[in-house]
Amino acid sequence: MLKGKKLKLPDRLGSLVAGFEDKDEDSGGSGSVCELGEELEILQPTGFRSDRESETDDDHDHNEVQEEEPMVKRKMKADAELEHNGRQPRHEKDGSSHISVIKTIEADEKRSDIEYEISQKEINLEKLQRIASTGIPEGGNLRATVWKLILGYLPPSRDLWEKELSENRKKYAKLKEELLLTPSELARMKEEAFQSNEHNNAHSDTAGPLIRHEISHEDHPLSLGKASVWHQYFEHTEIAEQIDRDLQRTHPEMKFFSGESSFGRKHRESMRNVLLLFSKLNPAIRYVQGMNEVLAPLYYVFSTDTDEKNASNAEADSFSCFVLLLSDSVDHFCQQLDNSSVGILSTLSRLSDLLKANDEELWRHLEFTSKVKPQYYGFRWITLLLTQEFNLQSILRIWDSLISSPFGIQEMLLRVCCAMLLCVKSRLLSGDFAANLKLLQHYPEINIEHLLQVAQDLTPDTSYYRMSS
Amino acid sequence: MVLVLAIGDLHIPHRAPDLPPKFKSMLVPGKIQHIICTGNLCIKEVHDYFKTLCPDLHITRGEYDEDSHYPENKTLTIGQFKLGICHGHQVIPWGDLDSLAMVQRQLDVDILVTGHTHQFKAYKHEGGVVINPGSATGAFSSFTYDVNPSFVLMDIDGLRVVVYVYELIDGEVKVDKIDFKKTATASAH
Repeated sequence: MLKGKKLKLPDRLGSLVAGFEDKDEDSGGSGSVCELGEELEILQPTGFRSDRESETDDDHDHNEVQEEEPMVKRKMKADAELEHNGRQPRHEKDGSSHISVIKTIEADEKRSDIEYEISQKEINLEKLQRIASTGIPEGGNLRATVWKLILGYLPPSRDLWEKELSENRKKYAKLKEELLLTPSELARMKEEAFQSNEHNNAHSDTAGPLIRHEISHEDHPLSLGKASVWHQYFEHTEIAEQIDRDLQRTHPEMKFFSGESSFGRKHRESMRNVLLLFSKLNPAIRYVQGMNEVLAPLYYVFSTDTDEKNASNAEADSFSCFVLLLSDSVDHFCQQLDNSSVGILSTLSRLSDLLKANDEELWRHLEFTSKVKPQYYGFRWITLLLTQEFNLQSILRIWDSLISSPFGIQEMLLRVCCAMLLCVKSRLLSGDFAANLKLLQHYPEINIEHLLQVAQDLTPDTSYYRMSS
Repeated sequence: MVLVLAIGDLHIPHRAPDLPPKFKSMLVPGKIQHIICTGNLCIKEVHDYFKTLCPDLHITRGEYDEDSHYPENKTLTIGQFKLGICHGHQVIPWGDLDSLAMVQRQLDVDILVTGHTHQFKAYKHEGGVVINPGSATGAFSSFTYDVNPSFVLMDIDGLRVVVYVYELIDGEVKVDKIDFKKTATASAH
């Protein structure tokens, strides 16, 4: 019944994996145990073809758990073998429970590592970055704190945290007061401060003509003067409307952001304030569609912070971190700078060069054969920091690596984009313009850890170093 | 912060061809939430023009209006204030403050917007406030030829109203400000 006489499988395996004999016909390249082992190795790196983001990835973890290793590995080999032949491996639950135990142990270790690091008086940012780029475990406020530290919002000395936080939050509140009030509220506050006599007269009940005060040409609602508070206010209502529309569409599947509950509305209101304030402080760029998507993960992480005080100040914190996050790439949003050396087109050509340095065949196929230029797919990837390509959990994991990368956010982003291309190489090579574009604009689900590993291992493109000063 | 435009007595096309260009340049869509019009537009084109400025338009009938379906008077509530509109040609003597106060008490409103005299007035009495935005085109009236074009913009913010008076004097736009608060006693009706 067994296809090859060479097939020497341990009895344990045969008994566990029932129905193993069934796959005789389409066994293809399967044979002895050694072959199974080899198959596993190859399947690993090219495993992106499979959509299973599950057990088959944490190969390196198994070294830690000695006694379970042989069992687990063999199970995985069999699983891989079966999957390779298109069947769902049985006893997957048993296998996955082994793997998930390993995963939780690893996550706990990482958690305690990170907690140890951030509990130091003087935090070693480099070490923290190294741990964080392998992914920050969920739960507690680890991610929020680590992001704030690495972005530079929190200083590395723990003692200064209280002071910095309260100062920044106060600054934010003041900015809000200055820039986000309507002109009538501003005028009212000014008058209340003065307590003028004319105001008191209006209170009196004596009948008579009301007193007229002359005002300047800037001080009335219909003023067209640029310096007029009113004029500026009305200019911003258009932007505010655009922001509102975009916020309605942010992560509509998540209750946190969408829906008419007071919960969702409060979050949208906070994000609205952040974006409006940003647009007022950056008149050259104002608000660009998509900034809401970049803000969303930041705001989400900070408001789900388990520390009460931090969660309630999520608006202020995410404003500052939003500015820090975009500090390098804010020029990408400015249309006038598109063709300049700091604009998006220059960054896209760097992506192209990086791809060329790593996989010339794919590069040639994309650039010349299928004529898929980076502008068609990469614009959104880069300006929005990949927030539109993956679900929120994946985005958080990718951002862990982006933010903590020693290369810097933009460099790492280019690497991840290049890795995204490499990971679907076979599909790209066999596709024409339309198919490739469709694939890249609706990027398929893949194993994020694998993607980030590929990104990490890329050869850097050194050609642009020569040009930049 | 609700911006309400009070305007009227344009008498287009009979006594004036159009709004003064300086006024027209200031009146752009998107800023004003409500328009209160005292009447005597007189033709549909003016009505349509106001509709482009703001979709929420309230008009009462003046004696020369060609559309006979406008009501004689109207009341509406904006924020904490009750506003009433009446053209004023029905109130005799024309422009008499006591008679207007009677109309105000009848309509039971805090602010009465009325026209017909083509003279700007803002007057306070125990019943409330009477505002006459004057004539936006400076059209001549039965009493006088010498009319300065004027209109009024009210900024209603909670219990406080800031009235901006726009007048065209010698070809220049002059803006004045009046503000008053609604007192607790006035609301006890």
